Parts: sequence; structure tokens; C-alpha cells
Amino acid sequence: MADTLQLLKCGVRFEPPTLVLSYKDWKSGKLRRRSMPLRNFNKNTGIDRIIEDLNSNPRHSRFIRLLSSAQLQRLLTIVKDKLSGLSLEASIARNNAMDTINPEENLNRVDPETLQRKKLIMDTSFEQKRKKPGDPDFQYNVEVDFETAVVETSGWDSEESDMDF
Amino acid sequence: MAENTQPDYDKPGDEGEERIKVICLGDSAVGKSKLVERFLMDGYKPQQLSTFALTLFTHTTEVDGKKVTVDFWDTAGQERFNSMHPSYYHQAQACILVFDCTRKITYKNLPEWLKDLRTYRPEIPCLCAANKIDEDMSMTQKTFAFAKKHSMPFYFVSAADGTNVVKLFRDSIRAALAYKHNSTDFMDEIMKELENFELDPKYNSKLNQDGTQRNGKDSPDEEDVDREAKDDKNNTTDTGQS
Ligand SMILES: Nc1nc2c(ncn2[C@@H]2O[C@H](COP(=O)(O)OP(=O)(O)O)[C@@H](O)[C@H]2O)c(=O)[nH]1
Ligand SMILES: [Mg+2]
Repeated sequence: MADTLQLLKCGVRFEPPTLVLSYKDWKSGKLRRRSMPLRNFNKNTGIDRIIEDLNSNPRHSRFIRLLSSAQLQRLLTIVKDKLSGLSLEASIARNNAMDTINPEENLNRVDPETLQRKKLIMDTSFEQKRKKPGDPDFQYNVEVDFETAVVETSGWDSEESDMDF
Repeated sequence: MAENTQPDYDKPGDEGEERIKVICLGDSAVGKSKLVERFLMDGYKPQQLSTFALTLFTHTTEVDGKKVTVDFWDTAGQERFNSMHPSYYHQAQACILVFDCTRKITYKNLPEWLKDLRTYRPEIPCLCAANKIDEDMSMTQKTFAFAKKHSMPFYFVSAADGTNVVKLFRDSIRAALAYKHNSTDFMDEIMKELENFELDPKYNSKLNQDGTQRNGKDSPDEEDVDREAKDDKNNTTDTGQS
């Protein structure tokens, strides 16, 4: 069944911890708001568990599905930061940093939480570009020879003396 | 010890078939896992070797009419320590070295990975892949000197849309087998294959610019040998379940 709900906005309330979505139901044409209390959420709760609970809650799962994993993770992290005593400004700054891909940043050195968040951001565009079995233009073996194109230097080799290169 | 959990790749498998080990290397989040998953396709359950932070994907295929069991080794986050446990390299017969063509740092780190690899496996063939070309197709018109400098075959790939993924993995299987059989020219074979694409004279001017050609020869000096790894995703077996 095609979902008639379209997500318009998402946010959180801190007291008590609540996830709030506003959405349009195209079937009725109405703008609506849905509040989902995050029960038993404290600074020691794992976010994965909260997500599991939301997804398996028959009243919420339909709305949770409207959010991307990256969005959901971000909102719940902001709530958890608040429960841990972080200011909202500090939390937003921290979450923005985790949600930004910097081509110069060495992701081997970041903490597991940051790496997971960056991968979720990358996943969003991966899924957009993805061709999977069942798609009309899916082929298992896709060979493309790029050597016929006009070639220019990447500029990624030039600036250093590149001893190792 | 690793030997308790790792198969012995110098010995034949249960059915007398050839066993090989191919490892993936490169920075966190370049797409190593997605590439292996794309080659083996969905629904595949890897085997976790819990002793070490790594994942093992077993794949059965046929090369030149002979059955071959290939284990693709993937890290499970060990990249974070900037080098892998020695057991990761143990008995590996080929390596796929991946960078993310949307993130320059991952290209800049290739020499570190190669150094780590060569500490343990000085001779095994290494294939270089620029992943995520779907994000920026203009990258495929650019040159990356690293692969050429180290005489590695080079591939523009995308785990998302599948571009050249199957070719990359089939070539890695052939390279691993050739290495195992002590062939001295395993790399030359792949290089020649790549050159065969270039037989049309109007393309010859592009030789040697992108790292796929070792010495920019105009034409291969050998017949095109039909050594296509007859891969078949239905052939994939899952030792994780057995
Ligand atoms: N657009 C795009 N994204 C990719 C591609 N391959 C991987 N990704 C994304 O890059 C991130 C890291 O991939 P992963 O396989 O986990 O990298 P690994 O750490 O090297 O194993 C994931 O979020 C993927 O969604 C690709 O070919 N194209
Ligand atoms: Mg991985």
C-alpha cells in the first residue's frame, strides 16, 4: 500500500523526551502533528534500543519510517546529549560536525559514533544512486571503459613531494 | 591463534578444490564492504571471525573449468587502528586497495596501506580501485598517479550502480590464482587484458595516463587468453551457515 503521508518537519521536545513530526496526509489533505514520547530514555540508554522500540511499536512505526536513519539518529542523539547535561548549542554543533563530510578528514581517526553517523549520511546518497536487482536497468556485470575520454590530471598528486607515491 | 579459525589457503578445500584468499584494504568508509556485497549480491551472510575484527565472505566460482573457493576478507572496523592484524594478511594471495574518489584523504592514505601490505606480503598482486564514481562522474576523466607508479591495475568503480565491480573482483581472483601458481607475470596478464581494450589506434594516445598501463605498449605481444573467471552469483556458497 502506497503511503499517503509526507513528512514536513521533525523535531524533539525535552520535557518529557518526545519525538515530534509534522506531516501531511494526502488522503485527507490535512496537516497533522504526531508526538511520540520516548519512554525510559536516560543518558545511559543506547540509541539503537530506542530506535528498535520505535520501529516495533505498531502505533509509531508508520511515522518513524518517514524519517531517514540519519535524521532519526540525529534527533535522538540531541535528546541524549541534553539528558547528559550538554547545552543545546553544543549538541547541535557536535551533531552538525558529525553530519558533515569533509573530504580532508581522516575517518580512520574518528570515534565509532562519528564514523557511524558519517556513514549514515553517505548511505542516503548511496541509496539514491543504487541500482538493485528488480530495478528495470539492473545488470549484474556492468563494465565501462573510461579510457576513451579526454584525460586531465586529478590534482590529487601534485602538491606534495610525494615520496611514497 | 589465527590458525584455529582461519582456513589454510595453501591446502585444497574439502572437495579438493583450490582455495584462495583475497583481502580488501583502504580507509574507513571508502566502500570496501559495499563493494564485496555488490559482487556477491544481496542476501549473503558473511562469516564473522570473532577472534579478530574481520569478516569473511566465501564465494565459489569456476576458473578455466576448475572449481575455486575464494574467501574475500573484509575488515570490521580495524581500519581505525591504521593497520591490520597480521592474521589479516596471512596467506593472502591478492589485495584490492580501495579509495573514495569523493574524499582526497583516502587517496593520500594509499601509500600507508600499501606499506602495511608489503610488510607482510611483499609480492602479492594488488589491484587499485577508485570507488563512488557515481557521485562524480568527472573523476573518471582524471588521472591518479599512484596505481601507475606501483604498476597496479586501476579501476573506476561504483558499489552503488555496479560499474566495474564484477570485473575488479574477477580480475582479483585471476591474479590470486596466478600468484599462487608462482606465475611471474600475473600482473602482466591483467595489464595486457586492459591493453586489449586499447587496440583501436585512436585510443593509443591515452596509454599510460591513467595508471592502467604498465609501460604504454601499443599492443599486447600475446594472444588474448580466455581466462575469464566464470562467475555466477548462484554459485555463491555460504560457509557461514554450514
Ligand atoms: N554513492 C556511493 N556511496 C557508496 C558507494 N560505496 C559505498 N558507499 C557509501 O559509503 C559508506 C561506507 O561504505 P562501507 O562499505 O561501509 O565502507 P568501508 O568502511 O570501507 O567498508 C556507506 O555509507 C555507503 O553507503 C558507492 O559506490 N557510491
Ligand atoms: Mg567495512
